[in-house]
Amino acid sequence: MLSLLLILIAAAFFSGIIVRTKSIASGRKGPGVFQPIKDVIRLFKKGAVYSETTSIIFRIAPTIYFASVVMAILVIPFDESKGIISFKGDFIFFAYVLALGKFFNIIAAMDTGSSFEGMGASREALFSMFAEPAFFILMGSLALLTGHTSFQEIFYSLHVGSYISYAITTLATFVLIMITMIENSRMPIDDPKTHLELTMVHEVMILDNSGFDLGLILTTGYLKFAMYGALIVNLFIGMVPYQYSIPMFFIIQFIIAVVVGLIESFMARFRMGHNAQYIFALTSVSLLIFFGVLLVLEKFV
Amino acid sequence: MPFPEFDFLLNSSLVIALISIIALFFVPVKLKSGIAIAAVFINVLLTSFVAITVLTGNTIDLLFCAGNLWGDIPIKIDGLSAWFILIINFTSLTGIIYGKGYLKAYNETSPKLTSHFIWYILFHLSMVWVCMLQHGFAFLVAWEIMSLSSMLLVIFDYNNPKIVKAGMNYLVQMHISVLFLTLGFLWVYTQTGSLNFEAIGTFFSGNYNVWLFLIFFIGFGLKAGFIPFHSWLPHAHPAAPSHVSGVMSGVIVKLGIYGILRIISFLKADFIVIGEIVLILSLLTGIYGILLSAVQRDFKKMLAYCTIENIGIVGIGIGLGLMGLGNNSSILCFLGFGGALLHVLNHSLFKSLLFYSAGSVYQQTHTRDMEKLGGLIKSMPRTAGLFLIGAIAIGGIPPFNGFVSEFLIYSGILEGVKSASISQTSLFALTFAGLSVIGGISILAFTKTFGTIFLGVAREKLHHKPHEVSLTMLIPQYTIVAIMLCVAFVPQFFLIPVNNIINSLFFSPLALEPISLVNYSSIIVNISIYSALFILMVLMIWIIRSRVVKTQPVAIRATWGCGYVAPNNRMQYTGKSFSKPFSKIFNFLLIEKKQYSELKNKEIFPKKRSYVSVYHDFFEYRLIKKITNRILYTANYFLFFQNGRTQSYVMYGILFIIVLMVLTFLNIIK
Repeated sequence: MLSLLLILIAAAFFSGIIVRTKSIASGRKGPGVFQPIKDVIRLFKKGAVYSETTSIIFRIAPTIYFASVVMAILVIPFDESKGIISFKGDFIFFAYVLALGKFFNIIAAMDTGSSFEGMGASREALFSMFAEPAFFILMGSLALLTGHTSFQEIFYSLHVGSYISYAITTLATFVLIMITMIENSRMPIDDPKTHLELTMVHEVMILDNSGFDLGLILTTGYLKFAMYGALIVNLFIGMVPYQYSIPMFFIIQFIIAVVVGLIESFMARFRMGHNAQYIFALTSVSLLIFFGVLLVLEKFV
Repeated sequence: MPFPEFDFLLNSSLVIALISIIALFFVPVKLKSGIAIAAVFINVLLTSFVAITVLTGNTIDLLFCAGNLWGDIPIKIDGLSAWFILIINFTSLTGIIYGKGYLKAYNETSPKLTSHFIWYILFHLSMVWVCMLQHGFAFLVAWEIMSLSSMLLVIFDYNNPKIVKAGMNYLVQMHISVLFLTLGFLWVYTQTGSLNFEAIGTFFSGNYNVWLFLIFFIGFGLKAGFIPFHSWLPHAHPAAPSHVSGVMSGVIVKLGIYGILRIISFLKADFIVIGEIVLILSLLTGIYGILLSAVQRDFKKMLAYCTIENIGIVGIGIGLGLMGLGNNSSILCFLGFGGALLHVLNHSLFKSLLFYSAGSVYQQTHTRDMEKLGGLIKSMPRTAGLFLIGAIAIGGIPPFNGFVSEFLIYSGILEGVKSASISQTSLFALTFAGLSVIGGISILAFTKTFGTIFLGVAREKLHHKPHEVSLTMLIPQYTIVAIMLCVAFVPQFFLIPVNNIINSLFFSPLALEPISLVNYSSIIVNISIYSALFILMVLMIWIIRSRVVKTQPVAIRATWGCGYVAPNNRMQYTGKSFSKPFSKIFNFLLIEKKQYSELKNKEIFPKKRSYVSVYHDFFEYRLIKKITNRILYTANYFLFFQNGRTQSYVMYGILFIIVLMVLTFLNIIK
């Protein structure tokens, strides 16, 4: 319950901070932190234009996308408090519920019968497919390390180990940040500010969405960011009491947002053709984590 | 005999089959499908009654006296048989009802229909008998009837040489399978002197387990479609009429799994080695199947490859179960075998649903090439919805049933990762990642297929406008969806029998502490509640959205074309381009062959030309074709034997007899 509230609050300012960081880094003043929220509210009030080729799939997809991310957020724990949904192996549910949203997002893009929206759809399917094993090996290793299989228990019992577990945490943070970037279609993978349809991934998929539906999709994006941020936060706080962990939550979320902003300001995007390989390389980092865990457990004889 | 009434039920099902087969010859064409449905329906009722009694009570043991030649043939219906019989019955029934609507266009070709329905009735019964017979040769006879009748069902459209070729391919491969099975049974016979299944157990307790298991595994694996024995599937499934491919993919393939599970139940030792073999092979099967599935243009071929993928997932479950047996971890055993059994049921449901709805598309459009289709959701909304449900379920995505069985298998892997030895831990971790990749690619494959066939606008002009199919074809599909939802939302109803099956099959009453699947069922039940919650949430947001949108202006315009004002339907993103970046990455496995002619130097007015690109099956292209070509090449040298002269043929016969006589005379053969 607590995590849901915290993520909602974080989602409200996360994207604003990214935009602000980018503005400052490029020497501009930039819009206020709450500008993204204002954009969404404006969109909710606007009418919509639908393509004549679209069907019911196109209209229901943003709703399902939104619901899937909310459902995934319900799984995320915070500190001592479990997520609203918590059971053994809940991170599998987490990944698969997100996949449902992705599924509808992809077919909604195909529904427009456009010549480029399928391109984005194809890339989205490909990239998220490659990101999957990294996430699963990471979570599997953590499960092996802690002996538990639900998010809350894994994170809660994580920070009691040796120095190697710090190394593991660092690598895990890296993997999770990269997955965050992939899932949110951000910079090294996808440039949200590009103006060319040919080089877009996420943006090209939602070219035909407008009005309420676009508002829903943007809101989902903010929520998703804060959700992955919360996952990373969970890696660090472990068993800290609430009076420290809640401020830490916001600080870490703030740092992640600033880091994302800085990456977007100073890095170029990976070459589109090689993106898949870059993403797949994440799996090898996850494998490193796995071997680290084997080391900690002294399974190498 | 303790259960005379079951004896009677089984006999009467045979009698009904016989009567209906004779009747099929004489009734007018219009009634034929009705008779076939009635016969299958009664047989389904009779055998399901037996199966349900077994699932809720005790195993049935019967003895058929088959004369001096074979001795007594034991028939045993235990939980495992009952589980598969119920799956067979349900899919066969939906198949024949759907088939009635599907074959409507062929009403004038009555001989084709007569034989088709006869084979169908035989085919259904033979599958049921395969699950019951416990005697090597009797089993092989039923197995052979099943293979032959299904082959004859596949070549329904026998005027088409391509289809006959696919049928022959299937026939040959099935007989290689029979060869291995016969070899296995004979080996057991030479060691123990009995052909009964119990003798396999005796054999295993005295000998090294792995080799005999491997022989049976190849035999059954050919049917199930494990790589590299899978190459009949992508030929036979598209060639068959859709209701037959639905039943083949839903059930026949599963009988391979049945055989493997049956053999496993007799294993006595070496579980770890066998488990590792099965696990690795299944993982490769799963990944390979879905890889090829993602690049196909022919949507029925795509579904066939996807069947291979799902067999891989079932196999992973079986491998986990074996590791559980080897490590004395009953929870791993339950999760593995439980996941496998449940996935067998799930896959038979959504794969038959997908084949039926794909068949509806084929019936209306007469093409299996998805690149020629598009926008069918507008003319066939129900079929589109059904296909979508199947596509989501097969990806293992909640809120449908695929997630339940995949979750069990995932949980099993997480359980197994904790095992002591590092090699096993690494293998489990690899399987974990592999299963997630399979899930990811299956999303890619099914978004591509669904998107290309049903969404957007039609890419080519069809001969006639497609319409929604008849109710006879839709009702079986609705029924399947209903059962799928049952598995997703009342999973405990299915987990309890699965639990009992595993208990009775793999654990003697005094075995290690029985931590059962039922313990896990609370989690599964919770998942179904969360799935319901999810659906509720979607509905709520949808209602809010509709409320808000109602008050706002809505306009319908053309799709955003990047400023280009004259786009046409062929400019839509195609399925091929959707999967192209993917296939480029995996080009070491996905062999793409292109046929086109380049523009020549002096060709000022180029003629119309074509460009064809096909993906070949790696194993078929690189392995099987090489071997068969070699065999053909060698066989060529012996062509002079077959010279077409009757005189020489008579001479061969005489020579053979003479050789026999001489050998007997010299006491070489007795």
